[in-house]
Amino acid sequence: MVRFKNRWFLVEFIPIPSDTKILSTPPIPLSRSSTEPIQLNLDGKAIYSALKQSVLSNYGDVGWGAVGLSLSVKYFSPTTNVCIIRVGRDQHKIVWGALTLLNGIESAKFIPNVVHVSGTMKHVQLAAIAHNRTVIARYRAMADAFGKIFS
Amino acid sequence: MKRALENAQPSANFKERKKRKLADARTIAVQSQTTTSAVAGTSRSGPTVDNTMKRLPGAIDVEKFAEARSFEINAMKSAMETASSASTTRAWQILPRHLRRRAASHNPRRVPLRLRDKARAEMDPMRRKTLGRAMPKLGKQKRLPKEVIFMRRQRDKRWLETHIWHAKRMKMENMWGYRLAVTPTEKAFRPSHRASMRGSILHDASYLSLVEMKGPQATLKAILEICCDAQDISPGAKRYTSGARVCKTHIYEPNCYPLGLICPITVMWKSKPSFPSQPLDETSKSKKGKGKDKQPIPSPEASNNTRILWIYFHPSVFDVVFSILRTSTSQILEAAGREGTIVDVELADIRGELGIFEIMGPKSNQVLRGALSPVMAEASADFKKFWASLGNIQSCGSVPGGMIVGFPVNDPRLRFPPKNAKVQLPPGSNVSPPIGVFPSAGLAACSIWEQNVRNQLKKPRYETKHINERRSKNLIPGTPLNPLRQDDRIPVMLIQTSVQPSTSNNAESIEGWTFIFPAGWSMAFFQQLTYTGTRIAGQRERKTQAFEAGTAYFPSDYPATSAYQTYALARAKGEMAKWTRTPPAKRANYKKLGTRSPWIPDWKVVLGWKEMPDELLTDEEDAEDVDMQGLVTTQREPESPVPAVADPVVDDDPPVRIWLLRGVEVSSIISQLSEVLVPGQSLLSTVNRLRAKRFLEPLEGTVKHEDLLKSALILVRITICSKGSSSDLSLVYSIPDAELQEWRKGLTKAGVDPIPAEVEFVTLPDIVPAPNSIIGYITTGGFSLSRGEGSAIGAIALIRLFELQQQAQSRFRLSHYVKSDKTLFVKVRDRKGHQCRLARIHVLQN
Repeated sequence: MVRFKNRWFLVEFIPIPSDTKILSTPPIPLSRSSTEPIQLNLDGKAIYSALKQSVLSNYGDVGWGAVGLSLSVKYFSPTTNVCIIRVGRDQHKIVWGALTLLNGIESAKFIPNVVHVSGTMKHVQLAAIAHNRTVIARYRAMADAFGKIFS
Repeated sequence: MKRALENAQPSANFKERKKRKLADARTIAVQSQTTTSAVAGTSRSGPTVDNTMKRLPGAIDVEKFAEARSFEINAMKSAMETASSASTTRAWQILPRHLRRRAASHNPRRVPLRLRDKARAEMDPMRRKTLGRAMPKLGKQKRLPKEVIFMRRQRDKRWLETHIWHAKRMKMENMWGYRLAVTPTEKAFRPSHRASMRGSILHDASYLSLVEMKGPQATLKAILEICCDAQDISPGAKRYTSGARVCKTHIYEPNCYPLGLICPITVMWKSKPSFPSQPLDETSKSKKGKGKDKQPIPSPEASNNTRILWIYFHPSVFDVVFSILRTSTSQILEAAGREGTIVDVELADIRGELGIFEIMGPKSNQVLRGALSPVMAEASADFKKFWASLGNIQSCGSVPGGMIVGFPVNDPRLRFPPKNAKVQLPPGSNVSPPIGVFPSAGLAACSIWEQNVRNQLKKPRYETKHINERRSKNLIPGTPLNPLRQDDRIPVMLIQTSVQPSTSNNAESIEGWTFIFPAGWSMAFFQQLTYTGTRIAGQRERKTQAFEAGTAYFPSDYPATSAYQTYALARAKGEMAKWTRTPPAKRANYKKLGTRSPWIPDWKVVLGWKEMPDELLTDEEDAEDVDMQGLVTTQREPESPVPAVADPVVDDDPPVRIWLLRGVEVSSIISQLSEVLVPGQSLLSTVNRLRAKRFLEPLEGTVKHEDLLKSALILVRITICSKGSSSDLSLVYSIPDAELQEWRKGLTKAGVDPIPAEVEFVTLPDIVPAPNSIIGYITTGGFSLSRGEGSAIGAIALIRLFELQQQAQSRFRLSHYVKSDKTLFVKVRDRKGHQCRLARIHVLQN
């Protein structure tokens, strides 16, 4: 029995503020005041088209021909910039490479950070939950640390 | 054409709907941006020390970040749950297995109320349309009433009172004139075993045959002593005649001990609180009077010497046992008649008068305590003490063995559903206190023995619907009903039972209670007990309980009885038919394997009363093949020129019937016999001594002691030393000395005390044993869950047992090994396989 196997990517798009120079350490988002949120104005479709362009330019028509049938963006959240992308298993390296080489869409610049790759949607969802929990924990620890300094 | 189109449309709609539903279930919710003003921020962030002073981190920001992330977490979780449940589970699959009903997929009424809408939605819409009849079905009045229909189905078999409950959940079979449950339909082998070890498990045993005997105590005692086991304590002993305990013994043909074993029986005397005022005569011959033949004339109530006793036993041998009792009775009455005494003995068949449940397992005490509500008003102090401590004991082993407790209970339906009692240990200790009450006639007194009481209770005073109406009138819903004066009070009896190899307690025994109540109340008590979480056992579970406890189970482990013959023949027929139906490539080739009797154990050949059949070479093709290829057969038996003709010299029936040496004193008898040079003589004298104990004459002079010894079988327990388990009808071989050395070398190499799973022999299992070294067969074998290794119960020839013991003795003397014990070793070969396994053998105390 031939099974079509997939790979699911959990990607987070880390936004780069437009006025920042390329630093050695990534910038702190908290350095901005809350009145100016970093919005990427992204959409599932926008990501798909950006990814397509990236594959076409880096891997050519051959690359897109291999990948195009199975590629799809399953989930994207504008608030957390977390995205779940599905590709076929034999072509996932192409998409991974194209994703890494993607550095922005039109005006918005970002760094894609692939958090997890797996064969089922369920494990990607579990990884997303775990990732969110570590982020929350990190923020909390940071807030505690700051609080202690100022108290 | 038109209909096809009609059908096509709803199914297309249905498919679309299902797809949409599935897609909905799979999408993950996204938090809309407009609701939150702040952004979650990125994950890659680390504090840099030099910037901390300039920027103020807001605590509010962290919370908003956390909120956005947590929304995502929840969305992911719910998406996972809905996705899996939307595609794979139906409404009835959400229910646990024991609440699922057949036909729930197309009949939503079989599903609990809360899931009914869901089930209805999941149904095929075409089917739903046909089921939802707007017009009611007519002709319901013309139908025959249910009772008539059910009675028609019971012409050739009888149903138990709990039949319908069992029929919905268990595989049923016709056995011994009843329709009985064999095993539950759901997978229940391990859960039932766990329930008998740690929980509680119930078996409806109302099919057991009951016989009532009435008469003077001494006469009844004499009647029983003629036919019961001579090694056991007599059923007329003082501890039993007071009615405080039951007597578990075996019944033989009258005057034939030890040759005509029939079955195990249980004897219960009606309690006589004012004991022992009557003189207990040792012999019936001292009575004076004329003996009358048994007539159903009730003995005068005024006589204070009339006792009643009940005997219950397996239904497959009812006719035999009843006729034995009749013969014994007439024999005793004749003897009394010769003296001139007037003696009246009444023998009655009371099958169907009582319901019997067997509840085994440690939790059975709490279950019974919670399910039954005894009438405390007239209860004795002893009983109150007993009832108070019943809920606290953690195993029935702490109750004196065979103890009978009789008491009236209120209608069980009043306090439905029941709550299990909780064990309350005394403070500061882990062990529950012992029961604190000794068996006594007063404790065992119960009005269930009276026929008129039972007759009154055959029909309950209030039907279930009346009781439900009463319950609905309760002011506070859910409170149990208080028993009224008109409510029934049902006399019941609890008897402590245990499944164990001998009278002494051991760790493997399974203890429980036998619960006896008048007929007509089976369903009421059954429902009460089932709602406590007790599992229900069928015949297979009952057999497994006996196997795990290491005891013989009637009829499958009693090789010398006629009931066993019937059972074995029926099984052989079924298996042979199945084997013949199977194509040769898919079934075991018994000829090639050298299994000379794969269907039924040939005890006569094993004991030497019959020549070994040369069937292995009667098949012409096989013989020619072998000869033509010039190969030597691996079978070492002598090739006789005239096969399969009965030798006229050797009889079909041995001079002494094949008999089973069993009883409480078996191990001491065997050790005594093994020291003697001529064990046959000693065996005969032992048998005569036991017979004299019961005032039977010694066995007739025609019985030669060699024949008696040669016809004896003995039950053994076989434990495999290496991994693997043996199944039923496996062959047991004795091992020649030289080979045994090799086996033991392999065994000790594995370690001092090897775990069976780790022991492996490489070449020894392939050695083909000589067919004349078969010493017996295994009657019940398998993997024992409680021991974690293969275990079996079988029977071997007594002479061969002595040979094994001599082998062990000589080994003991010449042993080179430090750890030399006197265990007896044998080889066991599955009838379908060719590999032999080393096994240890112990004599089974039964």
